[in-house]
Amino acid sequence: MEKFIDGLIRDFESGKLGRREFCQTLGIATAIYAAGGPRANAAPDGRGFKALGINHVSYQCPDYRKARDFYASMFGMQVLNDKGKGRANLAFGPEPGKGDNFLVIHNPGANPPKPTEAVIDHVCFTVSNWDEGKVRGALKANGFPAPTGRDGSLHIYDPFDYDVQIANAVEENAFRR
Amino acid sequence: MEGFIATKLDEFAKGKISRRALLETLTVAATTTFATGATKAASDPALKVQLINHISYNCPDFRKAADWYSKVFNLDQVGASKIDVALPFGKKGEKPFGVTANDVPLSSLIIRSRDLNTPANGRAPRKSQAVIEHMAYTVADFDRERAKAELKSLGVENVRDGGLYSLHMTDPYGYDVQISGVANNALSDGA
Repeated sequence: MEKFIDGLIRDFESGKLGRREFCQTLGIATAIYAAGGPRANAAPDGRGFKALGINHVSYQCPDYRKARDFYASMFGMQVLNDKGKGRANLAFGPEPGKGDNFLVIHNPGANPPKPTEAVIDHVCFTVSNWDEGKVRGALKANGFPAPTGRDGSLHIYDPFDYDVQIANAVEENAFRR
Repeated sequence: MEGFIATKLDEFAKGKISRRALLETLTVAATTTFATGATKAASDPALKVQLINHISYNCPDFRKAADWYSKVFNLDQVGASKIDVALPFGKKGEKPFGVTANDVPLSSLIIRSRDLNTPANGRAPRKSQAVIEHMAYTVADFDRERAKAELKSLGVENVRDGGLYSLHMTDPYGYDVQISGVANNALSDGA
């Protein structure tokens, strides 16, 4: 980035780049850097897609308000697009459009989902700056005095008995299995 | 950001700051603007979640499902055991898209074949009233028509439109999978 800005300043000094162009170019470059850089947006070499990550989890339950309130108050998720019509988005992580994850919490629709041979039996969320004592203390204060699992990787059940896991980067990491 | 750049550029043009100071100031500003999420996380409560760590996907043959997800999303398979394998969204050492914190690992799919009726994680399983009825994944450079053609060429079944920004499809076990770009996010979805 420094090399890039150095080149911009040189172009500005030599008159190749005007003040407005300088500001716009650096502003755009910063936004691209914020989004993960060109490497993150590169198309895959082969077939298929370059997956950037999980977009959202569609969670269906009997009362979306109950689940909404639980996930928002327990895990600090941000409630968005709740129009009181049986669904809400619960955002967390990076800003929307810049790598965010979200839960779409909703009531059952008119057509129930078709039965499948596959099931998502639990979702695990990463907690940054994990402090075992504070995490366990916060769970206890929220009515979960005895989570199962192990230090750094804990399980509880949500209001609809769905298995929820929270973990740190050491205990739950695909490359450390 | 642009207002800040303009101010610093003016200061440089008027000789108030040196070229070196301009370069350092703009570099620091440009490379830390995106880090606000990480800064915010440090002041958040102990249970504040940052990203999905993993999704536990259970099916009759984890190898078959893993191969499908690897093919469609170009995901590597790591840490395979007799009953499961992990498919991280990225390579070892990479940070998750949009994340700068050092203690947030790549999200991954853990694809398993295990008996969900047996106790796990130190407790008996419960029958949940909630269900994850579909999963959505973000891909780079998403274009709906191009993606549709690519999915069909890969032999993916039941590809169908999913609103303005996404497509739905069915995986080998009939599970509903959604694919989209960053335009499908917590603000735009359901807006």
